[in-house]
Amino acid sequence: MSPVVRLLWFGGSVAVTALLVLLWQLIATYSGIPPVFLPGPDRAWNALVAGIGTGELTRLTWATVERMLYGWVLASMLGIALGALIGSSRRAREYIGPTLELVRPVPVSAFMPIVMAFLGLSGRMVLVVIAIGSIWPVLLATVHGVSNVEPRLLEVSRSLRFSRFQTLWKFALPNAQTDILAGMRLGLTVALVLAVIGEMLASEAGLGYHILTTARSYRSDQLFAGVILLGLIGLASNLVLQAIEWRVLRWRRR
Amino acid sequence: MDTNVAIAPRAAGDTAEPLIRFHNVSHSFGSRQIIDNVDFSVGRSEFVCLIGPSGCGKTTLLRMVGGLLTPSMGEVTYAGHRVDGPESDVAFMFQDYSKALLPWRTASGNVSLALEAARVPRAERAPRIEALLAKVGLSRHADHYPAQLSGGMQQRLQIARCLAQDPAVLLMDEPFGALDAMTRQALQDEMLRLIETSATTALFVTHDLEEALYLGDRVIALYPNPGRVAQIFDVKLPRPRNQLTSREDPEFLRLRREIFDFIREGET
Ligand SMILES: Nc1ncnc2c1ncn2[C@@H]1O[C@H](COP(=O)(O)OP(=O)(O)OP(=O)(O)O)[C@@H](O)[C@H]1O
Ligand SMILES: [Mg+2]
Repeated sequence: MSPVVRLLWFGGSVAVTALLVLLWQLIATYSGIPPVFLPGPDRAWNALVAGIGTGELTRLTWATVERMLYGWVLASMLGIALGALIGSSRRAREYIGPTLELVRPVPVSAFMPIVMAFLGLSGRMVLVVIAIGSIWPVLLATVHGVSNVEPRLLEVSRSLRFSRFQTLWKFALPNAQTDILAGMRLGLTVALVLAVIGEMLASEAGLGYHILTTARSYRSDQLFAGVILLGLIGLASNLVLQAIEWRVLRWRRR
Repeated sequence: MDTNVAIAPRAAGDTAEPLIRFHNVSHSFGSRQIIDNVDFSVGRSEFVCLIGPSGCGKTTLLRMVGGLLTPSMGEVTYAGHRVDGPESDVAFMFQDYSKALLPWRTASGNVSLALEAARVPRAERAPRIEALLAKVGLSRHADHYPAQLSGGMQQRLQIARCLAQDPAVLLMDEPFGALDAMTRQALQDEMLRLIETSATTALFVTHDLEEALYLGDRVIALYPNPGRVAQIFDVKLPRPRNQLTSREDPEFLRLRREIFDFIREGET
């Protein structure tokens, strides 16, 4: 894309966002829905500024971000390690592959009672749930990337007499870079969703729990402030990962 | 210059101690026989070209020497022992160079791969990579990724990686087949120069008759279906070869005619 086209796209998306906010304001002001249920962007913004002013919202945001990141990093490390193990051996793929396909579509919510039974309603339980939920995209992407190395490159590896581990390290894992990063990006989104749900379930301090309690006490302006912050977390984490991809995958650019 | 006198004749496979030997090698994939009773040898420092139509089993024979394929009958020996896997001092140059390079490593990184394989300590790698890239004229592209290089440069990079193995034998599978005529001639000369200074043994696959004559000490012509040796031609052209004079040498023209007629006869 040329810089001009890119600028136009960026301007367009800013305009769309501004329009939506305006629409929200109009509905809140003129539809007759009481502000207790639907605060306008003005009220939500004020609640946001006030919450950040007292440090309360900042603290909760960091709590949720930290939870999301820990779970995601755990899931990514395990996902890459397991994926490399499974992907680099045809026998492992044949034995474990069907099981993976069987377990993968099971929603994380089905695992939650099991995790709760072991860890109770605790922060650790939330972390484990996040890890279980966000490991799948990374694990499957790694298996795919590691097991689909160009056959000629595997011959290069054989010809240079690299060991199986060296082949994995120098050929298969780098080959999986693209897939792994895409999987990690998906995993991060899942991690954020599960962090919020986990906080709600386990009453752990964070934006998720904040949203739950403010909804129960009809402080909808604060609820919306929390939702806005969640949106910003999603946006920011995606931008960071995009920047990482841009750097790591620079060999794909011409 | 009278090169006939100045240059000592290179060892011929049948007189000198053979380095590579095919002992009655046959091969089948499933029920289809691909190679039938191939038996020849390549002498130390000799340059042998394999020539034959597409699908006659040239790549298959090369893969056997490279230890990438075990023949179903007979055996291939290298320096007196049976080949049952890749040897560290035998370098394999693949037909499809764009697929044989690591796209996520720079030119330096791709050369480094062979040094890593040879367990060269990290500190010694940089100067050697620099020297190897200079040898193939890629110094200015050390930090470029394969996707940023032209076809000819990619092939030169593969040459550099093979040279990094410090090989006693170079196995080359139609290395210049996909390149334009100018680049091809330049690389032929570069390669001859590099090989002659290090006395490397070369087994070179091509289906270009003139290329085989220009490069080789001997040309082995293969028949297809199943692949077998049709005839072996000695190329008694002086070295160093020259793109103009060698190709106009009466001996070159005579051999070209002879092999051309021979191939046409085989077809009818
Ligand atoms: N792994 C394999 N399984 C089955 N058949 C194969 C395999 N590899 C090669 N063949 C067959 O063996 C024959 C010889 O193949 P080979 O690649 O050695 O030919 P070639 O002389 O190198 O041809 P070209 O000049 O087109 O590269 C072909 O008919 C091919 O289809
Ligand atoms: Mg071939």
